[in-house]
Amino acid sequence: MKKSAEKKSFEDALKELEEIAYRLENGDLGLDESITEFEKGIKLTRFCHDKLEEAERKIEILQKGSDGEVKAKKVAVKDSTGEIEDNNDLQGSLL
Amino acid sequence: MSSSNKPEYVSVTELTKQLKYVVESNALLNNVWVRGEIYNLTYHSSGHIYFTLKDDGAVISAVYFKFANKNLKFRLEEGMSILALGSITVFEKRGSYQINIAAVQQDGAGELQQRIEELKKRLSAEEIFDSIHKKKLPFLPGRIGLVTSPTGAAVKDIIKVALRRYSNIEIIIAPAKVQGDGAAETIVRGIKELNRAEYKIDLIIAGRGGGSFEDLFAFNEETVVRAFFESEVPIISAVGHQIDHPLSDDAADVFAPTPSAAAEMAIPVKEDLVGEINYLYGRIETLIFNKTESYRSRIDNITGRKIFMNPFELTGYRDMILSDIENRLAMEMKEILSVKRRNFMIIPDITKSVRSLVMSKNHQYNLKIQALEKLSPLNVMKRGYSIVTDESGNLIKSVEDVDIDQCIGIKLTDGKVSANVISKIKE
Repeated sequence: MKKSAEKKSFEDALKELEEIAYRLENGDLGLDESITEFEKGIKLTRFCHDKLEEAERKIEILQKGSDGEVKAKKVAVKDSTGEIEDNNDLQGSLL
Repeated sequence: MSSSNKPEYVSVTELTKQLKYVVESNALLNNVWVRGEIYNLTYHSSGHIYFTLKDDGAVISAVYFKFANKNLKFRLEEGMSILALGSITVFEKRGSYQINIAAVQQDGAGELQQRIEELKKRLSAEEIFDSIHKKKLPFLPGRIGLVTSPTGAAVKDIIKVALRRYSNIEIIIAPAKVQGDGAAETIVRGIKELNRAEYKIDLIIAGRGGGSFEDLFAFNEETVVRAFFESEVPIISAVGHQIDHPLSDDAADVFAPTPSAAAEMAIPVKEDLVGEINYLYGRIETLIFNKTESYRSRIDNITGRKIFMNPFELTGYRDMILSDIENRLAMEMKEILSVKRRNFMIIPDITKSVRSLVMSKNHQYNLKIQALEKLSPLNVMKRGYSIVTDESGNLIKSVEDVDIDQCIGIKLTDGKVSANVISKIKE
């Protein structure tokens, strides 16, 4: 159950929601089927909203440690300019 | 200044003529090679080519007449760096000067361009640029990887656009040198690093902001082009400006004219998506509401009919008949019952009558017994009679029934005797 939910992409869910709307609009569905479709629609709507909130705003830059290990370092950015606030201590490459 | 002190002077025309002479007779200004970049390029319908040659310090107008440019082997491009052979001429009517070009060579880039063309041919033969290898960009990339300089214009542009479109996006930057020695290696390293599964990157944007042909050259290096091609994660090439098309553009899944454009292509506007979801949900909600309403009205329609509104009106008449029958039945029943009860009441005490019946039957029985006793042969025998039977027990009532010497039985009241017939006399 959880696995299939993970597998489903936002795009698939949105498409399914569209299809449900289409079926409800054009399909000759009985009341029971219509309600089943509607319930599916509610679930998909919730899934889509959850999916949009899944990511967490985070900007990271990869840096190579003294041991050669690459690690992600969180950095702050200015929203208005997109500029990374660094103290001139960021490496320019991973080499 | 008074008119009497009028100084010596020359006309503008004479002055310009002097200038023209000085300039055009100067060997340093004639048939010289000049290096610069092409701007404001116009291929005129007359066949002449007009442009401005420019470098960091100055600009000069250039004209490349039809008769001179007819042997040009390549097309001039905006921003192209060239070496031009030409002479300075002064254009009196406008008070301007220009370089009149006799020949053009691509500046250094010519050689590089050649190398790029060769590489392109080679990689094409390997089908590296084929559309069948192009991966579809994810619809909703939650995590984006950037391969670019952490201090360049591109990273800022992309982050700015990304956050504006999708406020809670995750970005991981693999820092890379994007020009100069060793740039290619750092770009390749960045792309490979971001392809590692542990980062869970949905999409990579690799590129840099605008620059000269040489500045962008790393994105034409074979190792870089191959790294774009080999990226398992969908990758966008976002290099320079609209006019720049390094080979990385051809090897990437998608190329964008600029880094900002790459971010716009890659990242949907979250509000739009929210709007779309809500629109679709609103639509199905309306549809289901309409559907249930239509059923509801159908139900109302049906329940609105007389039978449901006032069911007794329809059954009333039958009800009346039924209750009439019921009443009649009940009354008849009552009558029958009361008659039966009356009959029952007049039956005398049943045990008494039975007892007297039994006593009378008893009496009759005794009388019959007494009569029977009188008739019983036992009583007759008590008076001295006996019963004679043959050997089989048959009653012998006549002399005819026996023969001489026959054995007969005689039953007395207190026992049996066997005897032989000695004689018989019929009387």
